[in-house]
Amino acid sequence: MAETSIHGYSDRISVAPGERIRFMVSVEGAARYRADIVRLIHGDANPAGPGFKEEVVETAVSGDHPGRTQPIRAGSHVLIDDPGGLLNVGNSITVHTFIMPTTPAKGVQGVVTRCDPERRMGWALLIDGQGRLALWLGDGAGRLVQVAATTPLMAGIWYSAGASYDGATGRAIVHLAPVVNSYNSRVGPVAALAAPVVREVDVERVDFHSQSAAVIAGWAEGTSTAGATLVGGHYNGKIDRPRVYGHALSADELAGLAAGREPDSRGLIARWDFADGIGPIGIPSDRVTDASGNDLHGRCVNAPARAVTGHNFSGREEHFIHAPAEYGAIHFHDDDLEDAGWEPSFELIVPDTMRSDVYAARVRAGNAVDYIPFFVRPASGRPTAQVLFLAPTASYMAYANEHLGVDVGVGDAIMGHTTVLQQEDLYLCAHPELGLSTYDHHSDGSGVCYSSRLRPIPNMRPNYRHETGSLWGFAADLDLIGWLNARGIRYDVATDEDLHREGAALLRNYRVALTGTHPEYYSSAMLDAMEAFLGSGGRLMYLGGNGFYWVTSFHPDKPHLIEVRKAEGGSRAWQAQPGEYFHSTTGERGGVWRNRGRAPQKLVGVGFAAQGFDRSSYFRRMPDSRDPRASFIFAGVGEDELIGDFGLVGGGAAGHELDRYDLSLGTPPNAMLVACSEGHSDSYQRVVEEIYFMYPGAGGTQDPGVRGDIVYYTTAGGGAVFSASSIAWCGSLSHNNYDNNVSRITANVLERFLSAEPLPATS
Amino acid sequence: MADETAAAPPPDREQIALAMWDKRMRAALRPLITKKIITEHRRDPLGHHSDALNRVLNYIRRRAPWGKCVVVCTKPFKQWRVARLPGARGQVPVFIDERTYNSEAKAMHAAFLVRIEELMRD
Repeated sequence: MAETSIHGYSDRISVAPGERIRFMVSVEGAARYRADIVRLIHGDANPAGPGFKEEVVETAVSGDHPGRTQPIRAGSHVLIDDPGGLLNVGNSITVHTFIMPTTPAKGVQGVVTRCDPERRMGWALLIDGQGRLALWLGDGAGRLVQVAATTPLMAGIWYSAGASYDGATGRAIVHLAPVVNSYNSRVGPVAALAAPVVREVDVERVDFHSQSAAVIAGWAEGTSTAGATLVGGHYNGKIDRPRVYGHALSADELAGLAAGREPDSRGLIARWDFADGIGPIGIPSDRVTDASGNDLHGRCVNAPARAVTGHNFSGREEHFIHAPAEYGAIHFHDDDLEDAGWEPSFELIVPDTMRSDVYAARVRAGNAVDYIPFFVRPASGRPTAQVLFLAPTASYMAYANEHLGVDVGVGDAIMGHTTVLQQEDLYLCAHPELGLSTYDHHSDGSGVCYSSRLRPIPNMRPNYRHETGSLWGFAADLDLIGWLNARGIRYDVATDEDLHREGAALLRNYRVALTGTHPEYYSSAMLDAMEAFLGSGGRLMYLGGNGFYWVTSFHPDKPHLIEVRKAEGGSRAWQAQPGEYFHSTTGERGGVWRNRGRAPQKLVGVGFAAQGFDRSSYFRRMPDSRDPRASFIFAGVGEDELIGDFGLVGGGAAGHELDRYDLSLGTPPNAMLVACSEGHSDSYQRVVEEIYFMYPGAGGTQDPGVRGDIVYYTTAGGGAVFSASSIAWCGSLSHNNYDNNVSRITANVLERFLSAEPLPATS
Repeated sequence: MADETAAAPPPDREQIALAMWDKRMRAALRPLITKKIITEHRRDPLGHHSDALNRVLNYIRRRAPWGKCVVVCTKPFKQWRVARLPGARGQVPVFIDERTYNSEAKAMHAAFLVRIEELMRD
């Protein structure tokens, strides 16, 4: 029997009492598993800290459940809806499209197909095992026609790719022509590429009818037990304007298509226009339109990238909404994954007795255990506390299943730390079908711009440790939850999805909002809500670092899917291709908010300044800390005390990612600089968006900008902001059984912010 | 529709330049590898380091991922081992030996020693 493993995910991440959440579980090596709902109090099991703390909540979920293995099929493609079988041609055919393959040498890949690969039956325009454009036609009885271009395709080059077969004459044609302009491809017109290929051959007669589904960017491999078409042979790269005719076009007509000339529409069965649907809010849709009039529309599966440049990209307009005709492509990847698609295993109707908090479905089989986190928010408009913890779930999604430690050569250099892998990382290595994060590259080298939570996310678990051997994201945020519990502070919980959806109305009911340790990914609606909150008396404790950084979109109809385009600037794992800086799901420009006029400093007084992960440092008090308007923050803290020279995240409160006060970037002029960090190593480097000219000395031992600044200020209407400006801050809260100056400062601020007594204005 | 032999991608001549650079860099770094920096790393693999150790670390930390030595935590907070990263996605790191370490820092130093040994080799 295989080693036991168990993994799961939920359909929702935030639920209120009375609402239903479904859990999808897959078990290997065990017939049954035990499930419980647990309240998560503290995640880090480090023996130097409070340890892992959870509390079982008795619900109808508790008990044994039958287990089964549920597979995941990654890879994006388009399924064509052809109930009438119009594409089931079997005598003569033409398939034409523009393609920009990105891994032509990886093996056979379907481009436009309607075939059964097992039985060798049907038709397929594909890339063959030698990296060549090919037409394959098979009758399922042994006759297989394979005609290929004579030269292999090159990665990153746009081609006109066509093939036809005339059943009356037995003449097959493959027509391949590079369509390179100065902007659209990896190389320009100067490069001496292979000349257009026109291969005309007489082949044996074959009847290639089949009952398979038509697929773009793969081929149908069968049907699931639930009746869904299973697709294999995934293609990597872009496809633009595919079309199918029921008769054979001549070589001249195929050359005409390559040059943008339209033959008459006689025999045209399908002409897919991937740009159709682009509108003022982008193209937040899976629909693919057939513009032939035959209504052979399609549906994208597993979120291939839309709003990408097409074969005719002229470089004049970079916003796809303004030039949809130049954005007629979709970029497919064999490792795209939107939805694992597992059958539900059990569900929970959240009882009224479950208070708003952080929970998980704990599933156990043998020695294997998984925690599927979720958040219970209070019933709408009925807060149960004055403090709201905002779980940065968009950031959890952005980092979901990241492979930085194993896929990125410079990972150790970025971290300043030898990569330390956990068992969860090994599982991710062995199971690439669990998909990627926005920190990863697809198998073809392109950046990952979408991330979904409808899949197991082993690195978003309460006890997960990150490649630095320390905490990150969800596990790190439980340090704050543990502190709130240890101090007996009542809190409600909501997620980024809730903030995005409900806006300022969500925050209005609370006196104080708390962020997590790294609320890096923010949508415009979330920023709007936070600004409205702070402008109307709300008080925010930003207890992390590098927050409010990347422009992030939630798909308007799919809250489980975020989009990030890493445009020019910012500490980024990849950079979007020219012309692809705008989000397909909202139409807004991606990149860092700083480059869109909305630097984090405007909201929280500080913004990303430096990062390093070798060892965290401490803060030292600044003159403003003794100002009577700010001195409440340091009550009980000595004048010369080093703040946070201890902790479970790198050994100090100032570490991992640090933010800095900067009037030029929008820090409110009345902001008080109450403490600064110091003593960082050269693994800490100034952020890349502040590197204009390059010169030596941008590390922590030489650059004065490599520091974190604790900032406090009041806002209009009695609001206030306290920014800790360091991811590691919350990792120091538990030191000495929660009795330390980081804990004291955090408590001082929270108590004062909770008080109805007005705060003296810092202006 | 079975796979056939995949076509080789065009050669990337930059690899020649990188190989020459690598040879020069290794030659330049070897004299820096002394008992002193090895002791320094053993005492603390993280944080502030001497210029010589930083230069060596900057080189080995930015090596291509495939075949790189990493630390794997085999028993949380108790045991770590050294493994080599796989050559492709879908594969797991392979332990380089049976040795276990009772601290992350010791395992990091063991990985460092392997990398140093590789650096000293032609």
